[in-house]
Amino acid sequence: MEFKLPELGEGVHEGELVKWRVKPGDKVAHDQPLCEIMTDKATIEIPSAFDGKVAAVHVKEGELVKVGQLMLSFEGKIAADAAAPVATGAVSAGPATPASASRPAAAMQATGGGEVLAAPSTRRLAREMGVELSQVQGSGPHGRIMREDLERPAGKRPVAPPSAVRTLSSGGEERVPFVGLRKRISEKMRLSKDKAAHFTYVEEADATQLVRLRQDAKNIGSKEGIKVTYLPFVMKAMVEALKQFPILNSSLDEEKGELVYKHYFNIGLSIQTEDGLTAPVIKDVDGKSILELAREIQDLVERARQKKLSREDFLGGTITLTNAGSIGGLFATPVINYPEVAILGFNKIFRKPVVAQVNGHEEIVIRDWTYFSISLDHRVVDGGVGAEFMKLFIRYIENPSLLLLGR
Amino acid sequence: MTDDREQNAEVVVLGAGVAGYPCAIRLAQLGKKVIVIDRAEIGGVCLNRGCIPSKALISGGTLFHRLSHASEMGIEVNGAKLDLSKLIEWKDSVVKKLTSGVSMLLKANGCTVIQGDARFLSDKALEVATADGKLKVNFQNCVVATGSRVTALRGFEVDQKQIVDSTGALSLRKRPESMVCIGGGYIGLELGMFYAKIGTKVTVVEAMSSLLAGVDAELVQVVRKKLEKLGVEVLTDTRVLGHKKQKNGVVVTVSGKNGERNLDCDAVLVTIGRTPNSDGFGLDKAGIQVDSKGFIPVDPQRRTRVSHIFAIGDVAGQPLLAHKGTKEGLVAADAIAGKKTIYDVIAMPAVIFTDPEIATVGLTEAEAKAKGHEPKIGLFPFAANGRALSMGEPDGMVKMVADAKTGKLLGVHIVGPEASNLISEAALALEMGAYVEDLALTVHPHPTLGEVLMEAAEATLGHPIHIYQRKPRERSGASTSPATS
Repeated sequence: MEFKLPELGEGVHEGELVKWRVKPGDKVAHDQPLCEIMTDKATIEIPSAFDGKVAAVHVKEGELVKVGQLMLSFEGKIAADAAAPVATGAVSAGPATPASASRPAAAMQATGGGEVLAAPSTRRLAREMGVELSQVQGSGPHGRIMREDLERPAGKRPVAPPSAVRTLSSGGEERVPFVGLRKRISEKMRLSKDKAAHFTYVEEADATQLVRLRQDAKNIGSKEGIKVTYLPFVMKAMVEALKQFPILNSSLDEEKGELVYKHYFNIGLSIQTEDGLTAPVIKDVDGKSILELAREIQDLVERARQKKLSREDFLGGTITLTNAGSIGGLFATPVINYPEVAILGFNKIFRKPVVAQVNGHEEIVIRDWTYFSISLDHRVVDGGVGAEFMKLFIRYIENPSLLLLGR
Repeated sequence: MTDDREQNAEVVVLGAGVAGYPCAIRLAQLGKKVIVIDRAEIGGVCLNRGCIPSKALISGGTLFHRLSHASEMGIEVNGAKLDLSKLIEWKDSVVKKLTSGVSMLLKANGCTVIQGDARFLSDKALEVATADGKLKVNFQNCVVATGSRVTALRGFEVDQKQIVDSTGALSLRKRPESMVCIGGGYIGLELGMFYAKIGTKVTVVEAMSSLLAGVDAELVQVVRKKLEKLGVEVLTDTRVLGHKKQKNGVVVTVSGKNGERNLDCDAVLVTIGRTPNSDGFGLDKAGIQVDSKGFIPVDPQRRTRVSHIFAIGDVAGQPLLAHKGTKEGLVAADAIAGKKTIYDVIAMPAVIFTDPEIATVGLTEAEAKAKGHEPKIGLFPFAANGRALSMGEPDGMVKMVADAKTGKLLGVHIVGPEASNLISEAALALEMGAYVEDLALTVHPHPTLGEVLMEAAEATLGHPIHIYQRKPRERSGASTSPATS
């Protein structure tokens, strides 16, 4: 029997096989995780749909897998096998699924299902040449792979990006497949820069009170095992300011020519992981307390690092917060998480001498200082609006007690 | 004779049906020494007791029926008679021509044919019981192409006189006045319609809620209307309880929505399906097990668990179609010859010789949805096709299924005149990965039935010429209305 990659969710057609959890010869029970697939920034465990023994795996770790592609063959039963009666006069006319295969020839995979656009003679030629058609970029209409695409000398053959083989060229370069999360980031960043008219606005803030408040909250949180960072406070301040400037919490529906104002505040949080940047979403920030937010952020960061985020974790964001300051730098100019229209950069907090009014005269005092940068889509948000938003936002940052007062 | 005769072959093909004989011929073409073993006739079920003879009878029945109903065209035939016995003889002559042709081809290609019952001794040898005694055949590769047989219905012992299966129904010398067909699948309907056309009062009994399970309901509806016209009574959701043989007929007791009922008839035709021939010849001695339905599990090259033994055709699993078996035979032959080949088929067409004919290939609307496509449907009625009208065959339609997002062709489903001959274009289109536009942009000659595919493609795209369509058909409302009907 064959196990093919099941549907991964709406709009997700492929993923990278990160890790096999089973190997040929393993006994597998229904629902047991078979492998980890990384898609659209989430790594998903694929559970088994069968009870049986793994006969062979047909995809290597690191390879791109398309929905419906053959993943492994097994001996056993599909759990929810809709047992068709033996030809009760019915004709089966669907695309032919190769009959249950107990031991398929590994190097000979069907291109069935029409996923690769190529004529039968081209498919045969590819098999004879030992070329994996899914690795070839077609030059014909709709990306059809033409016979000529195969007949070109191997080096000049257009190759589709995902090649899971690391090839070390003689000159001392290393070619590493640009796949998985890296590829997704590349696509999303390109899209954002192509679509949104980026500009960045930077303002400084006195974070002295925030540092004090956070220290208190940290002590309280630690008793409950919650790690309280600055992020919940920043998020709360964002929400209060967004309520006054709802356009920053909108997105542009170009197709319909409409601005979509969101009456909910779901803040994406960019998190650096081993594989790259990812931005899961904290939902309904408005309705959650500082400690609740802290707990949720802690959980999200942990799951992101363990690559255990699910697709749902990425849905519904209205604005994004990026914590650029943990390493250093004055401030960054973040790239908008399109189709959102704003991304706020939170930079490092540092001690700095500033001129302040003390008892009616000016003195140089030591304050906790920071810069906030915000990148906006100028198609939607003008500079003045962005500046006003930042002014209000920083008022909340400098006077966090206002967050309690709702002022 | 002696029991110690022995022969060696590079490849033994077990079964000379439509899967086995093409496999043997291809193997011979590739230079292999081939022995073909079959316990009965060359050509298997298809040539002898299936596709070919049934189509011969159906053609005769249809001609007879049309002759008697051609007054609209000004043709009055008085006293047209059908000599069933003679029709059967003609059918037999057609079969003979084909089977002797195949025998000749096998011989010309250098294949040795042995008639006899074979059984595996091991994964290296078979024993064949021939008319001249036993014979041992050693092989390097073996291709199991033993086909399938009619599934028996408990309580109905086939005598091929009063109770017949599809084999017997092809050789009745006397036309039954009345017939009960148990099973509303394609075999039951094809033969049932044949008998209805030559004047038999036919009743079809089907346990399921619809006829022709697996076929798009809109297509089946067209055939159902024709069944009504032919005076065939169709009982769906009806189970067969038993029967009593009488002197001059059979009484079949059925139970349906309206309770129990007795159906008097001259003959009962049992067509409830087919069972793979995977038992009784020692597959286990070769180390091969079958699945729960009796099919031999195979890989994409049609190798069984024992990698030098292959299985093709009906015995290797669904769909049980002659052309699927033939394709598998060629794949297995190439694999044995060491070619890099697999069974890599996108489009597996299926044809049903009801009146009108049904032919389908690719995904149905429901299957497309289940596979995550957003299906876009294009309908075109034969009533709006000039050739169909001028043939006096306006019933039917083409239903085209495409992916709404990409416009890629997913399936084509035809009910109508010559559907069986029209479907191959759709199969080619699917195999080539065509987009609906490709079909719409290809010039189809006028006036031909083939234009319906072009027009159905145009309908899918929302702008057919010969029907008026407000907007591309949506499943909820908008309907097509033939302008010329």
